[in-house]
Amino acid sequence: MLTARQRRRSRWSGGRRFALLAVLPTTIILVALSIFPLLYSLGISFTDKQLLSLVPARFIGLGNYAELFQDSLFWSSLAVTAAFAASVLTVQLGVGLALALALHRLPRYQQFLATLLLIPSIISSSVASFQWRSLFDYSSGPLNFFLGALHLPLLTWTADPRLALPSLLLVDFWQWTPFVTLLLLAGLHALPAPVFEAARVDGSTGWQLLRYQTLPLLRRVIAITVILRLIGAFKVFDIIYVLTAGGPGSATESLAFYNYVQGFRYFSIGYSAAMSYVSVILVIVLARVILRYMERPVGRAAAPAPTAEAAA
Amino acid sequence: MNSAGSVSPTPPGPAMQRPVTRSRTSLWASILGVAIGLVFFLFPIYWMLVTSVKPPSEWLTNPPVFIPDRLYLQNYTDALFNWGGLKGLEDSGIVAVSATAIGMVLGTLAAYALARFRVGGTNLSFFILSLLFMPPVAIGIPMFLFWSALGLVDTYIALVVQYLTFTLPFVVWVMKGFFEDLPVDREESALVNGASRLRAFWDVVLPNARPALVATGLLAFIFNWNEFSIAVLLSRGRVTTLPFILPTMMESHYVLWGDIAAMAAVGALPVVIIAFLLQRYLVRGLSFGAIRSE
Repeated sequence: MLTARQRRRSRWSGGRRFALLAVLPTTIILVALSIFPLLYSLGISFTDKQLLSLVPARFIGLGNYAELFQDSLFWSSLAVTAAFAASVLTVQLGVGLALALALHRLPRYQQFLATLLLIPSIISSSVASFQWRSLFDYSSGPLNFFLGALHLPLLTWTADPRLALPSLLLVDFWQWTPFVTLLLLAGLHALPAPVFEAARVDGSTGWQLLRYQTLPLLRRVIAITVILRLIGAFKVFDIIYVLTAGGPGSATESLAFYNYVQGFRYFSIGYSAAMSYVSVILVIVLARVILRYMERPVGRAAAPAPTAEAAA
Repeated sequence: MNSAGSVSPTPPGPAMQRPVTRSRTSLWASILGVAIGLVFFLFPIYWMLVTSVKPPSEWLTNPPVFIPDRLYLQNYTDALFNWGGLKGLEDSGIVAVSATAIGMVLGTLAAYALARFRVGGTNLSFFILSLLFMPPVAIGIPMFLFWSALGLVDTYIALVVQYLTFTLPFVVWVMKGFFEDLPVDREESALVNGASRLRAFWDVVLPNARPALVATGLLAFIFNWNEFSIAVLLSRGRVTTLPFILPTMMESHYVLWGDIAAMAAVGALPVVIIAFLLQRYLVRGLSFGAIRSE
């Protein structure tokens, strides 16, 4: 006589043919479209290959990588990318959390308000960038009009070497903070209500509740939000392409954009491939660090993940 | 009962009402915060819509015209007919619908197999998910060389298949989580009653997964509709999605703000309309991916 568990196991192990067929198309497509390019990139990253060049590529070992670390434009592009990442970790997360907590307090029109707020994140960044181009316009743009109305000096925004990067950070903030807000709001909804009740009986203040109860329980959602947005920060390309093309000079060349410039403008595809590898490694390392930090047990406040009940 | 409901955060109901003991100041602060947020995040959208209906004489005025006194709709006919907006709508639609449909069918099947049968162990799952982390520029050059070797640069096929590299991992990620949380009892009783696995999947699993499928499909469609960097790398002017057309409009020496705003609105409106029609699923879809415990 088989136990229920054994019967269950045998039934599920019987479907392997179905399972293999089901997973095969996705696997083939993804392997073909990622492993091939990644291996190819790895190969050419050890050569001085130039696109459209008649001179055959030479094997130069780690030459591209060595050159990369001496390339001041690479370091400045890394700094630009770091600025986007820093903006994610500070203002986007901070304002996103504040807005999520505020929306959480307003249950009545919450879904409608949240959807309205989400519009910047669901439209194409190409569309968003063009709107900001017109908002930034020196003589006829609304931003300078408001500055003028407040008797403040007018700004040249993306044309000013010092202001160009902050202007792009503003656009990135505008586009992605609503997305951060929505993820955190969904996380707040998944919190067990008793947490709030018990703390209130204890006489905790709102700040204590946030600091010692809400934030630790939100840790996982915050981690996923941060990772998704950091990946976004490493990919940032569209708004630079439309708003500054990396300029003035190279003031707003991010890692991804500088990579594009080397590969598609100068056709130094060996060099560009080496840069790709460095950025992929950076993203993976960062994601691991954040996941580890965010998933440490949170002591007394640790509650079973609210969504696990359905699986149990 | 309704397993989908227990996975997602419940819609705001009486349980969400904060007790009256919570201070009134924090309520007003919340209202004020949300109001400021709405003004900041929606003003650029308003500016786009307003600019799209301004006559050329009002495009570059100082002070700017915030409330036009009449609707000048010629920008839209210019955008649609002179700038190729109609073709853009068609191309964006073909590419986004195809990539979303293929990605949903294949991705959902794969997610189910990974969740229920653990095919390929954790390695296969990890490989698929890790592709979400890859910056598209990292594979830009080989991607371009691959498609030009096949003679398929600037075709629907190239864009659709290339878009699957992010659509499939996304669908697998979200749907796998959903299937793992879905109780297996009903599939088992269907199997006991003699149903094939495909039938059990089709008749029992999919109907229960409907909210998750709508939410995931909606988000996948939005990503595909908006995609820009791959389109820039793989288009040469024959296949022109809307995000690709916009930068080409800057190339004339006189900046046609009204036409550009109209084209931007044409690109933004479909996703915004769909998002509002399916707002329940949109908010839920974000939480399927982010909230569940893996």
